[in-house]
Amino acid sequence: MPIKRTSAAGNAALLALRSMIAPMVAVAIALIVGGALVIALGDNPVEVYGTIVQGSLVGWPNFLVTLQTMTPLLFTGLAVAVAFRAGLWNIGAEGQLIMGALCSGIVGYAVELPRFIHLPLCLIAAMLGGAIWGLIPAVLRVKFRVNELVVCLMMNPIALLLSGWIAARVLKAPGPTNKLPDVLDSAGLTNFSVYSQVNAGFVIGLFLCILFAFINLRTKIGFQWRMIGLNPRFANYGGMQVERKALSVFLISAAIAGLGGAEQVLGQYHAFYDNFSPGYGFDGIAVAMLAGNNPIGVILAALLFGALNSGGVVLQMMTGLSKYLVQVLQFIIVLILSARFSWEWLKAQRVSVVEPQPQAEALPKNAETQEN
Amino acid sequence: MDSDLFYSAIRISTPLIFAAMGGLLTFKAGMLNIALDGFMILAAFAAVVTAYWTGSLTLAILMAMVCAVALAGLLALFNLRFKADIFIAGIAVTFLAYGLTALLLKGMLDEDGVFASTKIPKFPAIDIPGLSHIPWIGPALNGHTLLVYLSYLTVPVVAWVLYKTRWGLRVRVVGEAEDAARAAGISTGLIKVQTMLLSGAFCGLAGAYLSLGYVSLFANKMTNDRGLIALAAIFFAKGKPFPTALVALLFGLATALSVRLPEVTGIAPQLLQLIPYVVTIIALVFVGIRNFRAQKRQGAWRFDIS
Amino acid sequence: MTQSIHDSVTITGVHKKFGDFVAIHHASLTVRRGEVHAVIGENGAGKSTLMNILYGMFPPNAGQINVEGKDVSFNGPSEAIEAGIGMVHQHFKLVPSLSVAENIIIGSEPLTRQGLVDSKKAEVEAEALGRRFGLELDPRAIVSDLPVGLQQRVEILKALYRDARILILDEPTAVLTPQETRELFVTMRAFAESGRSIIFITHKLREVLAVADRISVMRQGRLLQTLDNQNVTAQQLASMMVGREVLLKVKKGKANAGETALEVLHLRANGQQGHAVLEDLSFSVRHGEIVALAGVQGNGQDEVVECIAGLRRAASGEIRIGGLKVGANPEANRNAGLAYIPADRGGLGLSLECAIWENMAVGHIDQFGSGPWFSPKAARDVCSRLISEFDIRGADPDKLAKALSGGNQQKVQLARELKRNAHLIIAEQPSQGVDIGSIESIHRTLVAMRDAGKAVFVVSADLDEVFSLSDRILVIYRGQIVADLNTYDTDLETVGRFMGGIESRTGQHMAEGHSHAH
Repeated sequence: MPIKRTSAAGNAALLALRSMIAPMVAVAIALIVGGALVIALGDNPVEVYGTIVQGSLVGWPNFLVTLQTMTPLLFTGLAVAVAFRAGLWNIGAEGQLIMGALCSGIVGYAVELPRFIHLPLCLIAAMLGGAIWGLIPAVLRVKFRVNELVVCLMMNPIALLLSGWIAARVLKAPGPTNKLPDVLDSAGLTNFSVYSQVNAGFVIGLFLCILFAFINLRTKIGFQWRMIGLNPRFANYGGMQVERKALSVFLISAAIAGLGGAEQVLGQYHAFYDNFSPGYGFDGIAVAMLAGNNPIGVILAALLFGALNSGGVVLQMMTGLSKYLVQVLQFIIVLILSARFSWEWLKAQRVSVVEPQPQAEALPKNAETQEN
Repeated sequence: MDSDLFYSAIRISTPLIFAAMGGLLTFKAGMLNIALDGFMILAAFAAVVTAYWTGSLTLAILMAMVCAVALAGLLALFNLRFKADIFIAGIAVTFLAYGLTALLLKGMLDEDGVFASTKIPKFPAIDIPGLSHIPWIGPALNGHTLLVYLSYLTVPVVAWVLYKTRWGLRVRVVGEAEDAARAAGISTGLIKVQTMLLSGAFCGLAGAYLSLGYVSLFANKMTNDRGLIALAAIFFAKGKPFPTALVALLFGLATALSVRLPEVTGIAPQLLQLIPYVVTIIALVFVGIRNFRAQKRQGAWRFDIS
Repeated sequence: MTQSIHDSVTITGVHKKFGDFVAIHHASLTVRRGEVHAVIGENGAGKSTLMNILYGMFPPNAGQINVEGKDVSFNGPSEAIEAGIGMVHQHFKLVPSLSVAENIIIGSEPLTRQGLVDSKKAEVEAEALGRRFGLELDPRAIVSDLPVGLQQRVEILKALYRDARILILDEPTAVLTPQETRELFVTMRAFAESGRSIIFITHKLREVLAVADRISVMRQGRLLQTLDNQNVTAQQLASMMVGREVLLKVKKGKANAGETALEVLHLRANGQQGHAVLEDLSFSVRHGEIVALAGVQGNGQDEVVECIAGLRRAASGEIRIGGLKVGANPEANRNAGLAYIPADRGGLGLSLECAIWENMAVGHIDQFGSGPWFSPKAARDVCSRLISEFDIRGADPDKLAKALSGGNQQKVQLARELKRNAHLIIAEQPSQGVDIGSIESIHRTLVAMRDAGKAVFVVSADLDEVFSLSDRILVIYRGQIVADLNTYDTDLETVGRFMGGIESRTGQHMAEGHSHAH
């Protein structure tokens, strides 16, 4: 290995570049597999991908729709990334998003307050709703050492069914659809454009990602979360109060997901609708994994998936292909990134090939080893 | 309570039981397979397409099984060969299957969301002579299609395989004490792959039943978390075949009730559909309390999942 | 080495490296048919590694193995089983929820004509096998319900069921009561009489003298010598095991012990299975002295250290660091003045996937930035300084900890722990897996800490290290301190006897009915 002193900045840049190789390779593989699928369905992959890029990024209206579709992914992606980085497999962002949406939807219509109180109150309600939904898996994981993945998996449909019941029976708005009454104007997130539903929630999401990037790098708690995620025994040995911090980071993660629900209700739909989420919580897993749990990476990954999603809609209108091509690409990426065959795997493969060699060179020494 | 209700409970439970038996095999081999929904949705799609194009139900079932087994092979490849976390890889495979079926539905059949056709053949109801004359039980048990009876038949078969055959014994050993299996010269990787592929085959039947037996159509995400409910049944019955099937049947009954009961009593269907998940969480709380007590007894600080 | 018809296993020049660490240095060993052959050595001497190679768990880098006249090279345990080798591991390989008979047949199940597992036959055969070898067991009993001694019987029967002619027993008496041990020895002798060979791995000298025909001694990965059990004493074996000359001697002056820094009073604690491991254990360590805790692994030293470090909750008793009462809270214990250098570097003392600067920052985070803010730059700067101060070769603050050698990883731990202003330093197996050069500088550092007036508590399974470092030696045996000796007034043999339980605190000899033990 060449020993070269590089500057700290150069080192950091090199590290950042290296950490981007795996996601890029995964995206490339997904695009190739997706391309093969497109060919099998009788379309031209270059045209299809071209349509997606065109439909998502070219022109102001298209781009604004992309910003709109990436907004929920900012929240759920960040939520998952914050938890994953601390070694907690919060795959319950879907349920937390729904509960956050429900709570903000209720507070949004049920109380009348001046805007500067009402809107913050709705956002806080959403965060509380998400956090309460995260409390069950979090406590079971941290205090009772129950696998949080299974609990989260069960909590997701419970949230969907429970909120569905409330929207259909308990607080149903008059009319045929299962929804809550519209939120009051005083609780609405300001919409930025006539072309899309992109709203102040987008700014909140961006801000949160940047905030957490800062927390991760420049605060003690951010450093401790990372240490807990990589080796909790070591963190405990170093006096980090692992249980308390793991619990709090799980709740923070759930609160972020809940806030994502508020963005949907207060900014895009202006009411809580039953079954509004097409699986943003699960998409969040894809975003976080592609981002390598880095909050800035979450912005880029959310932009990529948001663009694919908004381009996918255009694709569906223009060709015989479904917008679900995007979902296929998304989860091929997750599958590839879940494998641990990146650097270590390749290295291990090489070692196992090389290993027999020392045997040969050690053999001649046999004669001199008899000590008795 | 009438026999109609039980008739539909038996129908509704069929895919649950297939999926639960498939999930049970991997569970016994020490893998919590959360991709059951993914296997099922792909199978359901393959079954509908094959039946639509060929008109053959046999071919449709076969194709469903082949596709689900292939997807199971993909999960096994990533979990066992590439050391991917089974949960993350399982979620990826499931959503991949959701997306892929929706994509192919549009690409191959040019339909959005739902596909139905009169060209899709239906399973004939099997009339068991004499059964229908037994009051109450007869009408509930008689007149189902082949796959329904087959699903209930798989329960004793799975139990028999697990507890009587050499392979079954080895599966249980791999699941409970992998190092013991290895020390005894058992190839643990092979056993795991085999259970995963079989789990795919069972989900293939479940999927085929969903799209050809239960209804005659394909819809996006039509498995409706049935894989998750099957998993819940396995969890709740602690992985024993007959209790698992019984719990699945009870979950099916709850679903049947959620269709019927609201008409009668006004209880919201959602609250009845909640039952499997809530029950599982409660079971997990008990597991947690047991962990907590063990931890207290021995005193060492631990954070890993038991 | 020539193969005679009386030999059942011949190992010639076997060499095994793990990375850069040489675990076995060209070991050669012959086991005769019908003998109990003991392989003795301290922990880490390479006994288990050598036996795992023989059992096919991992391939040697060089050397040959001959079993019953045939050269073999196993690709896994199943091939070793095929060749007639059975192994009873120190940690049992049993399936708790299955019956005795099922556990015995796993991997070579008897089948009925229909191809099903013939559980009747399995039960009958298991029972017959047990009766034949005097290891009677209810074949239908569930293994998890059995006491440990009987579980071991299941393991032995498992090997016999596959017709093992060479049986390796890895520390079989570690889990047995004295009575069960005697029973096991009767069984072992019976096997040997029936023409089988037994390889008995242990570090308990009196057991070796009681049961073995021949004894091979291992030290630091080398197989030193094979002796007949006719004319050898426990003292001779002990000195061979630990090496007569102390290899590494640190120059140090007389200790100048001051006030008490660590006080452990009537400590009781439970082990992993919830059973009592420490029973009413008391000792103290003063400023300006190095106290070593010697003992055979598994006698409670891990639990003692965990309790002091706050990683394990004591069942009862009291621990005081610098006069402050501490409990199961690592943060409070560190604040009370504790620095702890754990033996488990990869799992507990370092985060291998993290950069060196991050590893060095843990436990000192309060210094890097005020309030909630964290300054990685400050942490990196301190790290660079410590890297040069402790001479950590090939280190760079941004390099991952896993890229360092064992010795340099140890120095990272040492630098991090010693930099804090602690008055009590606990070093656990400080030279385990560390190269000779680093051992010296690590030892020098610990002595320097003592001379600076700090209390140093060393836990080591390596008696060389214990003698070269310490001023006082505590010996732990079965969860109790059985000896408190002044290092300058004692010798290896005495400590070895206490460690092996030959001698207890009252000076009473515990050797049971063997003339070789004094």
